Amino acid sequence: MALEVLANTLPRGVTASEPERSRLNGSLDLDFRRGSASGRTALVRSSQIPPLRVVRAFAQEDGAALAHLHNVSGGVLGGDRLVLRAQVGPGACVQITTTGATRIYRPRSDAPVALQINQIVVDEDGLLEYVPDPIIPFAGARFSQRTTIQLAEGAGLFWWEILAPGREACGEIFEYERVELITDVFAAGRRIAAERLRLEPGSGDLGSLARLGDYRYLASFYICRAGLGASAWLAAEEHLREVARGITRPRETVWGISALTADGLAARCLARRGRDAISGLRAIWEAAKLLLYGRQAIPPRKVN
Amino acid sequence: MLNLSPSENAFPLSADLTALRLLQLADSALPIGSLAHSFGIESLVAEGILTTGGLAVFFRGYIEEAGMVDAVFCREGWRLGSSSGKFTGGRWREINDFLSALKPARETRAASASLGENFLRAVLACADFPLLGEALGAGTGLDRKSKAIHHSPAFGLACGVLGIGEDSATLAYLHQSIAGLVSACQRLMPLGQRGAMRLVWDLKPAMIQTAERSRACGIDEVFCFMPLLDWGSMEHPALSPRLFIC
Repeated sequence: MALEVLANTLPRGVTASEPERSRLNGSLDLDFRRGSASGRTALVRSSQIPPLRVVRAFAQEDGAALAHLHNVSGGVLGGDRLVLRAQVGPGACVQITTTGATRIYRPRSDAPVALQINQIVVDEDGLLEYVPDPIIPFAGARFSQRTTIQLAEGAGLFWWEILAPGREACGEIFEYERVELITDVFAAGRRIAAERLRLEPGSGDLGSLARLGDYRYLASFYICRAGLGASAWLAAEEHLREVARGITRPRETVWGISALTADGLAARCLARRGRDAISGLRAIWEAAKLLLYGRQAIPPRKVN
Repeated sequence: MLNLSPSENAFPLSADLTALRLLQLADSALPIGSLAHSFGIESLVAEGILTTGGLAVFFRGYIEEAGMVDAVFCREGWRLGSSSGKFTGGRWREINDFLSALKPARETRAASASLGENFLRAVLACADFPLLGEALGAGTGLDRKSKAIHHSPAFGLACGVLGIGEDSATLAYLHQSIAGLVSACQRLMPLGQRGAMRLVWDLKPAMIQTAERSRACGIDEVFCFMPLLDWGSMEHPALSPRLFIC
């Protein structure tokens, strides 16, 4: 599906009649291509409407392009409608990260829910590694993120999200109003993964054993490569489960790894501390990239 | 006109007949393998996370989350199978593919698909229902992809075909699902028969509330947040020894 078609699709819950004056509409359109002569990936086209920004793409030692997403507002405000569209061209390798945590601020009482829309296309044999910092919803925050990822044949994906309980240092634990994370991953036209997470601390017991239990951080990691067979994914599941076992600490950090309906794996982490989720994601990413691509995972260059 | 075989049309459909059929379809004794699955609960018990004291709260949350998804998909299946529905193989595959994508844990997905397929076969063993036969035969039609017919939409579909009411079907599905999981808990922890019965008895209001909420919710509007149970399901393949397939 072309980015243009995705661009014209409103996510569920967003109506065209919502007053535009109450929204700040920011967008970032990024087009990455692999140079046929150099074999290196470059950001060949970008269109940027603040507060979203990419200064430039950096070349990585393996020929990939690294882009840091900036929000010049410092965070997501109530009523913001932010759209990221990224296209990874055939054979291109792209890494996208953030400059810091995505802060979701408390909105004015009359502000619409803050929206983040991610529309991603990875063309044949392209690879996208989306490795951002956590999402931190402040007290009172209302936030919805809608992500649609289309993988062509041979396309690869490493995509994670980390959800924090709030500003822990300020004592804000699950004081946000609502966070929704809606994700669909398609491979060769078929939906292989779907997430419909809605967390409303005020109206449901997040600490229930049916939900988070005693854990505070949630990480979700999709590892995909369209075209690999089911037996390869079962082997990958077993291998990464062993890696996850090495980083599991009962009652502190737990990891689950499972093959998707096709073309990939899902990894889930529940952690009491954010740094354990982040370090674990990196360990699984490193193991998965070596397994699927025979290459090292290169952590994004930034100050952490 | 209901989607029934000629022999079915010869016997007058009555409220008693539909009630008895619903009782049978929702019976734990229906030979579809429902007692072989804990859907991740075995892992939670093995890790000492879930104990008898926490079951009531756990199951209320389960009904609100996974139960809601099941109820919505059961209704979607019912609406396809009912006399006013328009069943197409394409829509049936779409529903089941979406439900597959919503289940991140491989074993849970496989268990639900096994129950769904076995359920339709069990109903077809009782009488010839052409639409159910078509549903059973409908694969995804895509290369290298496996068929998956999930239990909740299959249950709804069959009830729609049989003229069982949508609300009754949804409630019955929820009830048999929870009763099955409570039965699994009896084998995993010191939960006696009276305790199990009381637990299912007390969960009925939660089932009714979820069934009511599901009435106006389409499959594109459903949410489910059960990360700890998802972890349990994902971890289950590595559990040794284990009582349950999933």
